[in-house]
Amino acid sequence: MAALNDWQERLEETALEPVRRTGRRFWAVVVTLVAIIGWGAYAYSVQLRDGLVVTGMRDRISWGLYIATFVFFIGISHAGTLISAILRVSNARWRTPVTRMAEFVTVVALICGASFVIIDLGRPDRLLNVFIYGRWQSPIIWDVLAITTYLTASVTYLFVPMIPDLALFRDRLADRSSRWRGWLYRTLAIGWHDRPAQRRSLGSAIGVLMILIIPIAVSVHTVVSWIFAMTMRVPWDSALFGAFFVAGAIFSGIAILIIVMAILRRAYHLEEYVTEKHFVYLGYLMAAFAAIMIYANISELLVHGYKLREGVEFHFRQLFLNEFAPLFWFYLLGGLVAPIVIALVPATRNVRGMVAAAILVTLAMWIERYFIVVTGLRVPLMPYEPASYAPTWVEWSLLAAGLAAFALLITVFTKIFPIIAVWEVAEDHEATAVDAGAAIPTGAIPAVDRPRLAEEGGR
Amino acid sequence: MMAITRRSTRTVAGLLACFAIVVAFAGPAIASHVDVSVASIGEVAVGETVAIPVALRTTDGSPLAGTVVTFYLHMAFAGVEGEAEIGRVVTDESGVASLAYRPRLAGHHELRMEYLAAGATETESTTTVVEVTGGAQLYQSPAGVDVPGVGVELLMVVLATVWTVLFWVVLRIVAIARAGGEAGDVGREVRR
Repeated sequence: MAALNDWQERLEETALEPVRRTGRRFWAVVVTLVAIIGWGAYAYSVQLRDGLVVTGMRDRISWGLYIATFVFFIGISHAGTLISAILRVSNARWRTPVTRMAEFVTVVALICGASFVIIDLGRPDRLLNVFIYGRWQSPIIWDVLAITTYLTASVTYLFVPMIPDLALFRDRLADRSSRWRGWLYRTLAIGWHDRPAQRRSLGSAIGVLMILIIPIAVSVHTVVSWIFAMTMRVPWDSALFGAFFVAGAIFSGIAILIIVMAILRRAYHLEEYVTEKHFVYLGYLMAAFAAIMIYANISELLVHGYKLREGVEFHFRQLFLNEFAPLFWFYLLGGLVAPIVIALVPATRNVRGMVAAAILVTLAMWIERYFIVVTGLRVPLMPYEPASYAPTWVEWSLLAAGLAAFALLITVFTKIFPIIAVWEVAEDHEATAVDAGAAIPTGAIPAVDRPRLAEEGGR
Repeated sequence: MMAITRRSTRTVAGLLACFAIVVAFAGPAIASHVDVSVASIGEVAVGETVAIPVALRTTDGSPLAGTVVTFYLHMAFAGVEGEAEIGRVVTDESGVASLAYRPRLAGHHELRMEYLAAGATETESTTTVVEVTGGAQLYQSPAGVDVPGVGVELLMVVLATVWTVLFWVVLRIVAIARAGGEAGDVGREVRR
């Protein structure tokens, strides 16, 4: 009884801790990230001033680092969908301490990813042309619609389950935090007082959102793949591209989530809630998706390689034997095979092993996105010498700035919003305690009498 | 003085002799035994099909039937200039070869018609000009497969459904806020 109360108190304190205290290390990280973003802003100003000629992109290879990074970011935005929505639908209880982080990753990755499309335009004012002159027949328009819808749904899906925790912050930090924070929590908590009517509305909203967001997320990455697959280019000529992209997105999303989890766990001392179990379970999921990716690669490469149409031979040579071979083999062995081995071998089935596997997967998936874009465009359409592409310092700077912006937004989010879904973790713990026959604290509504919010979603 | 005059006379005579030799050799090749006439085309619009008739007759006026006439269009693209063959037509019994030509670009079109008359050893040619006006878009993508019900309307229905559901979620959030407001009012009443 007292133990459960203590546990609840400790959980709330852990969730409040990042907001209450800010150390020097935090500011050092922020300053470093802002400096990188500042350098990126300078690089972007050079690009705006002189045009896209300052990049390595030319007429024949007209997409490069920017579009590869856009695809990469949109991919990792699937972390929230998988961990939060799919695992919520499947009622996997272990997910609760990491759902909020996954939802953060989704929203932040979408914002960063969308920015890279604007950077790639060269002339950001021409973005409006998509709306003024856009054609319904164009996959670009479908992409804009899908990403806009996904961003809206993801922000909503981040906000709705956070309402009870925002109310907790409002109540616990009243008169103990700055005025703007008090206003922010009061506004965002939208008058949450844990009333039955509020619980019903919250439960039904989460229930609908968690189902709705899965097809939206799948549609987003499928449509991103169509931008390539619906173009008359030999390496992109594949009906498998949509499924391939979705699988790759979830795969890289899990990897990024593991890395973010590891950093936040260490920075905010979340070891009690984000345990080795979470890393290993996510590692298993990552290994499963690695297997799916291996299957998709074999299917794709074998079908194209067996027929070996004109451009395919060139494409295969550049990937397996020539210019891109070292990195491509790293993608296959380091990014797809190694995570499975790490997850299967008991000695590496721990936090460190899973983080190492996640780093490998993240690197490999970025390389894969780069290869899809650049090697695809490199295959000559006519009998001329293949073009070459090398990113310039402007492109590398903007890539670094994009990654820094991703890290900065996550860092700032953790200082303002609850990084753990307190009410979900508490409900899960309570249910586990009831299952184990533990006593219910005095005054607390027994879980059997008070329906769990998660169950009010109509499942 | 006399010597200079004599030398000049010899030079002029030599030049005249050379000219006579050149004319003597070139004469048979230059002299044509075919009369060719091309009807004036005038102005046509882009996309409009126009006939370009070429009439071949012998010098005595009889039509030259069965002669292949090749039509070339002078073109310039990406800094490269040259002639593109646009068709071949055989002259009919009245000696006329008519090509149906559909210009795809506005502007000044120069056409050259080349033929090798029966009994001749070298090809001959004539030219004509067609002035093309207008700017109609001639490329039309094929209609494709029109599956009933699958189109922009379906996309709109799917999008509308998704956004309606999202709007419903927003209404749930409003309901939460209203329930919170009512709870706050009740709390204030109790405190009074």
